[in-house]
Parts: sequence; C-alpha cells; structure tokens
Amino acid sequence: MGREVSKSSNTVIVCRCNDVTADEIRKAIEMGIDDFELLRKYLRLGFGPCQGRSCIMIAARMFARATGRGLDEVLLNYKVRPPIVPISARYFIKGVKS
Amino acid sequence: MKVLIVGAGISGLFIAYELVQRGVKDVTVIDSSYPGSGATLRNLGCFRTSFTSPEHVVLLKESLREWFALKDEFGFKLERRGYLWVARKPETLEGFKKLVDFHHQYDVPTRILDVEEVKRVEPRLNTKLVVGAMFDPTAGRMPIIENFVNLYIKVKKLGVKVVPYTKVIKFIPRGDRVVAAETSGGTVEFDAAVVAAGGDSRDLIATVGVDVPIVDVPRHPYVTEPYAETLRPALIIDWDTPGSPHITQNEHGSMILARDLEDTPRASIYSQRIDAVPHILKPLRELLPFLSSVNILRYWMGYYDMTPDHHPIYGPVTPYENLFIAAGFSGHGMMMGPVTGKLIASWILDGRPYIDIAKNLTLERFKTGRLVKELAVIG
Repeated sequence: MGREVSKSSNTVIVCRCNDVTADEIRKAIEMGIDDFELLRKYLRLGFGPCQGRSCIMIAARMFARATGRGLDEVLLNYKVRPPIVPISARYFIKGVKS
Repeated sequence: MKVLIVGAGISGLFIAYELVQRGVKDVTVIDSSYPGSGATLRNLGCFRTSFTSPEHVVLLKESLREWFALKDEFGFKLERRGYLWVARKPETLEGFKKLVDFHHQYDVPTRILDVEEVKRVEPRLNTKLVVGAMFDPTAGRMPIIENFVNLYIKVKKLGVKVVPYTKVIKFIPRGDRVVAAETSGGTVEFDAAVVAAGGDSRDLIATVGVDVPIVDVPRHPYVTEPYAETLRPALIIDWDTPGSPHITQNEHGSMILARDLEDTPRASIYSQRIDAVPHILKPLRELLPFLSSVNILRYWMGYYDMTPDHHPIYGPVTPYENLFIAAGFSGHGMMMGPVTGKLIASWILDGRPYIDIAKNLTLERFKTGRLVKELAVIG
C-alpha cells in the first residue's frame, strides 16, 4: 500500500480508466458512503476496460482503513464481469441470424 | 410507531423517506446484501409516463412529478431526451396511433413521427428500414447510481436505520398481525412491516402462508466503451423485433443494449449468457449501423420481478393488517420510486392509498382475477 495515497492530493490517480483520484475516494467516504460496493459504483471504479485491475485493491484498502473493516469483508461483493477485455461488436455478429 | 422495511432498494428507501416526512420516528430498513444490490442498481435508468394502462400512466405521472420536485433538495439528475419507438412495419405505426390517442386522454404528449421527422430526432438511424415512429419527448433517463446514493445518504441523515447484509428469514404472526421478524441478526419487533424486496418478497411472504405471484426473469444488458454523445433519444426501441431490442447512451457515454429474450425464470444471478450478445446486437445494428464498430465493455445480469399483469403489487398483505408489500415492478421500480414511497406511507398511516387508482394494484387482484389490462406492453 503506497503511502502516497494517504496524503491529501488532487493529483494521485487511483483509477486510470475513469481518472478517479484518491481525494475523490476520500471525499465520497466523508460524504457518507459507508459500503464499498456503493462507493465503487458511485465513483465508477472497475467500470473501465481494466475492470479494476489497478484501482480496486488501492480503493478497497483506503475504504477498509477509513471504516475499520477487514479487506475480505470490504471486497465481499466485488465481481469481475465478462468479457475480460473489451471485444469489438463485429466478432459477435459474424454469421449469426437475428 | 416502529416500522420495518425489508429491502434497501429504491422502493424501500423512498418508503422510509416518506414515513419520516410524515413523522414516523423509528424506521429500520434491512437488506440481505448491500443497499441497492437488486434491480435498483442493475436497471437502465430510463423513465416515461407513456404506458398503456390508466394505472401505470396515473402513477408514473405522479412519480415523475415527484422525482423532479425533489431534484434540487436531493441533488437528483434527470434528463428528458425522449423515447423513440421505431416501427419497421406500417401496421405497427397504426397501432402506435391508437396508443397516442390513449396517451392524449391523460395529457401524455406522445406523437407519431414520419420518416423525415425520425431522421431529425435520430440522424444515425437507418431510415430505409423504418416507416415511422412514436416519440415521447417527456421520457428520459437518469444516472441511477448517483441518484440512489444521494437518496441513501439523505435517508440516513434523517435518522433512518439501514441494516445491510442481514437476511430476514421469516415473519412471526399473531392472530391477524405480524409482530416480529426473525433475521440473521436476531429478532426485530415492529408495529408495521413492508416487504419491498423484489422477487425475494415472494419467499418471505410465503412464511406467513400468503402467495405472491412474482417471478424473477433474468435480463442481460451489455455496455459499450464510452463514446462522444451519439444517441439523442434516451431510449430507442426496435418495436418490430421480438423482445423489442433497445439501446440507451448513459451520462458517461457508454451505450447500453438489451433485449427481452427467453430465459429460465429464477435462474441464478450469475448464470451468464454471452450468447445473448449477438441476439441483442444484430437487430440494433441494422437500425444503427455504427454499432458494428463499437467495443463491448461489460455485461451484467439483473432481474425483472414480473407479476402476471406486469404491474406492481402495492398495499396490505391480507389477512395481516400491519403487513404491506411494494414489489413486482416488472422493470419499472426505479421510475416508480417516489410514488411507491408515498402510496405505502399513506396506506400504513391513513389506512388507504392517497391515489385511488392504486387500489387496483393490491394482492387481492390475483384472487379475484381482476388483473390490470394494458393495450400493449412496450419496453
């Protein structure tokens, strides 16, 4: 866990797909979002093409630390959804009848 | 007075909000998972009043009036961009004309568009396949997560107790009342209880011997990578293809595609259907050729909690005088949230709904056979 994310800064980007900063995560928790799934969805963490590969663990640790909860409890409902990487619509349509 | 609400989705939280507004001090909302985990955070976020039964039109008009009235106080976002029902066949357009006449009786300003007008509303449509459309300019869409989180934070600030990750196992009846609920976190007593738990409402209410005809029907929406603003209407519906494939573009630029496909009722929420993609894409790609070159980003599954007449079940769970239900929204629970809250609050506190027509939507209708009739089920 990098110490840099605990410093107040607008420039530390946690989610590179949607440009979510550490500060935005902190503010959302302060605003009263007390569930990690709600926080994650509210900030669109894991909604981009990487599906949370880079942001989820950092955000989950920040949330766990702020709320005093365990990491496994925080990540209980986090699920990666198919496809694993974005796929062109073209591949799905080839030779398929409507 | 102490009220227990089962289900911390859009319905449960609006019911809690209205109860607090009306002076109820002790309101607890229990959910088996995280708040909004059911249909609330899985739907497409579209809204309209252009339904085809008086019940739906009257209640949705009231509900949307309320969504907009609460906009500033709650920080809700709602955008009226219109629904476009595309007709590929001339006879479909004739059917739309009848619907428009019905809507006009209720001051819902839908209108029929010819091909030229369709082009102006959505220039990207392949109008070679289109004979016209029905357009509802007052329909629109909302960012569901943002609106729901704002509501959640607000009701918590108002003193509503929200208890997530706690399952209500059964109700404990005594005579013509239910007096307590047995939950995974212990027994909870109350003066009145409301079940607003989507399809799970059926299993819970069965514990007091009452049958609730709701079936969870899986739906499989797909979302694309974000693109610059592409689609003008909030929702485009390919009405002449079975299962009415439809597409919306959300606030972040992603397009969401869906279609009502045959599926196994009550299938697991994690039974993925990658095979649904081509069936959803192909007809929509005919209408919107640019869809060939988009990237599919993600897929999720959610349920429509369907009732036999596709209308919600509101009101008392007879014979119990202090047990109420608000479930079976059949895909319309998000937009109905505010009116659901006010209806159930009035039912609990005044003994009757504040809008008369809601009486047609009680559980009784399945016993008497007086189901609600729609002219057509449209999307």
